[in-house]
Amino acid sequence: MARLLDIDGVSTGYNGVSVVRDLTMHVDEGEVVTLLGPNGAGKTTTLLTVSGLVPLMAGKIEVFGRSVEGRRPHRIAREGLAHVPEGRALFYQLTVGENLRLGAGKGSLDIKRALSYFPALEPLMGRRAGLLSGGEQQMLAMARALTVNPRLLLVDEMSLGLAPIIVERLLPILRRIANESGAGVLLVEQHVHMALEVADRAYVLSHGELVLEGPADQLAKDRSLIESSYLGAE
Amino acid sequence: MKDAIAFAFLGLGAGSFFALMATGLVVAYKGSGVINFAHGSVAMYAAFTFNYLRIDGRLRLPWVDILPTHQVNLPVQITISSGGKVNVWLAVLLALAMSALLGVGMHYLVFRPLRNAAPLGKVIGAIGVMLYLQGVALVNFGSENPQPKSILLPDTLFKNFLGFGKPMPGENLGLFIMAVLVGAVLWFNYKYTRFGLATRAAAGNEKGAVLLGYSPERLALFNWIIAAMTAGLAGVFVGSITGALTPTKFTTLIVPALGAALIGSLSSVPIAIAGGVGIGMIQTVTSTWMTGKSWFPDWLQSGATDAIPLVIIVLTLFLRGKSLPIRGNIEERRLPLSPYPKRIGWHVAILVPLGVVLAYGLPGDFVFAGLSGKWSFAFMTSLIAAMLMLSYVLLAGYVGQISMVQLSIAGVSAFFMARMSANGVPSPQDPFAVSGPGLPWPIGATLGIIVAIAVGVLLGIPALRIRGVQLAVVTIAAAVALQTLYFDNSKLTNLMAGSNAAVPPPTFFGVDVGSTGPRGLTDSPKFVTFCVIVLAAMCVIVSNLRRGSTGRRFLAVRANERAAASAGIDVARTKLLAFGIASGLAGVAGVMTAFQQQQISSSNWVYFAGLIALAFAYLGGITSVAGALIGGMLTGSGLISVFGSHQSSGLHTYTPLIGGVGMILTAIIHPSGQAMLFQPLLQYFGRWLKAARVPEWLVVARRLGPYVVLGLALGAIGINPWRTDEWSRPWMMLVGVLLVLFVRSIVVRIRSGGHEPSSDSPAEVSA
Repeated sequence: MARLLDIDGVSTGYNGVSVVRDLTMHVDEGEVVTLLGPNGAGKTTTLLTVSGLVPLMAGKIEVFGRSVEGRRPHRIAREGLAHVPEGRALFYQLTVGENLRLGAGKGSLDIKRALSYFPALEPLMGRRAGLLSGGEQQMLAMARALTVNPRLLLVDEMSLGLAPIIVERLLPILRRIANESGAGVLLVEQHVHMALEVADRAYVLSHGELVLEGPADQLAKDRSLIESSYLGAE
Repeated sequence: MKDAIAFAFLGLGAGSFFALMATGLVVAYKGSGVINFAHGSVAMYAAFTFNYLRIDGRLRLPWVDILPTHQVNLPVQITISSGGKVNVWLAVLLALAMSALLGVGMHYLVFRPLRNAAPLGKVIGAIGVMLYLQGVALVNFGSENPQPKSILLPDTLFKNFLGFGKPMPGENLGLFIMAVLVGAVLWFNYKYTRFGLATRAAAGNEKGAVLLGYSPERLALFNWIIAAMTAGLAGVFVGSITGALTPTKFTTLIVPALGAALIGSLSSVPIAIAGGVGIGMIQTVTSTWMTGKSWFPDWLQSGATDAIPLVIIVLTLFLRGKSLPIRGNIEERRLPLSPYPKRIGWHVAILVPLGVVLAYGLPGDFVFAGLSGKWSFAFMTSLIAAMLMLSYVLLAGYVGQISMVQLSIAGVSAFFMARMSANGVPSPQDPFAVSGPGLPWPIGATLGIIVAIAVGVLLGIPALRIRGVQLAVVTIAAAVALQTLYFDNSKLTNLMAGSNAAVPPPTFFGVDVGSTGPRGLTDSPKFVTFCVIVLAAMCVIVSNLRRGSTGRRFLAVRANERAAASAGIDVARTKLLAFGIASGLAGVAGVMTAFQQQQISSSNWVYFAGLIALAFAYLGGITSVAGALIGGMLTGSGLISVFGSHQSSGLHTYTPLIGGVGMILTAIIHPSGQAMLFQPLLQYFGRWLKAARVPEWLVVARRLGPYVVLGLALGAIGINPWRTDEWSRPWMMLVGVLLVLFVRSIVVRIRSGGHEPSSDSPAEVSA
């Protein structure tokens, strides 16, 4: 299994103040990895650093075997890194179809493939993205990320503002994507148990430091481990 | 009615020009979120390029030779055809390539560095570009103003166009077809191509576009090129319609184009095209047909054409209410901090006597005889400019309202006062006296200021719903409309447009404090003192406003209108209050200008000068009273500029250029202006000077002395091979010293590892 993402001893943050310190983790092909942690742990910052939107302070990040340091974010994206950021970053003034066309490299084929995961979007193709419901918007964000045929998919808090029942429907799709396309998925999630159900492995961040890592099923069994890491107990 | 339609077709030419310009504005806004006030100057430069290629076959490059030597020169022109004229279409191509080059330059050198700046910073950047291009045109194209010839259907004249009984030049139709074609191509581009889609996407959400692998900066670059090329097309092809080319050509014509672009929310190309053509037609119908009708109000005859874009802009913005699509995900920096004024009394106690000393000189005459002649006039100009800039500081710096109409408001007060103090009795100095009630000057001045406040508050009403750069657009349109509706309107001013109205000198208890000095020049020390005292009073008022609860309300509105409202501040009242006070300040500046000039004409208040005044206020420091004072000193024909042209006779042709570059650099590097740059430095050296004794001076001398000597030597040797002008000789040694010290400081900074303070900082020496 090829290593898609390799984070080694990374510190990152804003304006010289580090938010994440000495983080080491990796994502392999066909794997769903979830990054957990309480608010302010540095999960989103980690994803932003991987896609090049936040500069690295120390350590090394390799995406598809190439260091991201000093590279422009759109260049990294073009190599097959798709990032569904917090807030979804949809183009509200554009229609659903236009949103999807922007990502699609080889035209309609990619769009069809993306829509096969989210058939609910099909009747909405002509509607402006800003008029969709929250769940539909999240589906569109994910579908748009899929149109680029990603080899590595970063998904940030897709459950934000959504009813748990919708999250329960969306998360297994990530599993399917990883299984069917062989892409690696790195998922940041607040719904710990739902995330652990679909993930292979999990990392837990707290106050910018890695406090726990392991296979998802193991962590799911031992609730106290995660609870104590969230609460900061030793 | 048949006539009206025929006249409307005549407006097709101007309308198509507006349409093309509006398209470019829309494209630039889509691509980078900038309302490009320099768009007209790009068109101007392309038109000049084209016409000079047709005249002498040389392509002028958009920069000037700044090297201070005649041995090494920057190339400023390329000879395309040594035999003179270049083929028309080759010339068109070259002119378009030139505008594309300008687009590239604007992207990389100005608007990309400014992409996160506050809206006012971008406006200043655009004004800087405008000034720069005008300055370059002034130098490179000289004083010759060619009359452009038509390119499209030049010899065609439809004798009876569509059977309406009026002739129409074929050029109009050609321009219209071109505008529609360009519009169609661009519309298709933004609707269906991947580039167009990505542009719209990046305008909505930059982060999303980046994460899909698009570079918003690359997109912005291509959009700037397209925008600049449409401006080039408009400038080259508009041909004979708008008269002889001058460096300030098209700067006023940007207003109708802005109106057209705003109708389409700055995002729809087809609506911009339709709007531009429509405005052109309505203007022509108004100026040629409606004004001839008996029902048309007499006093509106001259200004109606320019009022149309203003009405359209205000109506579209006001009725739509919802603002333009704002670029998503751009982290906009706020305006710079507005410092809390301290030690007002001390400043007054030092600066006012300093001003009086400058006016009268020191007793005994042998030390310093006081400013006279052009120096005194320049000092007055600076003081009065500072008054005007205080109005910008209050309005733009404290409340964040970008108004470009303040100079015109000053003009309103000056014109009203002139009319009120006129009595219609002709005299040898003033044979065509303006009729009026002949009020004494204090009443006339007060009335003028009151009218200025009224006009200012009226123009502030749109600001209740229109914000940011859009307000700037409204105020530009208002300034242009005021110009033709009032200043150039003989029905209201009783003055031929462009001629002068006399202003009687002010007196205090029989003492003449007018600006005419004892030698008959405009250099009266009494008037300078008068200016100093008025300016000091205004500074104290503005500082105290800033310190009090009104100032806190101003800053709260500037920071966040909704938050201010939720904290119990009446935002509408606060804004109108600010417009009222600022207009009062501008009114005082207008009255003082009238006293200084002793006569006024409409040419004192052209809207373009108002833009430059705002830009100089920004250069000085838009958020502080000190900034207004520095801005006043920097202003054109102010003290510093006169000093500069005194030292170098040729400098005045470079003034717009230097000003433009200065504005762009200030907006990018130091948005808080010169005041905030010098204040800490002055305080720092002040403290050092206070503490420094002989040993400290010795250390500095030992460290820097050799470099000073080296610089002096280099300067002395450098005179002959370098510039040979008379004026520059004594300065070359000083330049040499400064250069050597500058190079040394850079070397020291690099050696010490960048951000560490350099080792020769006086603080460490004295420690």
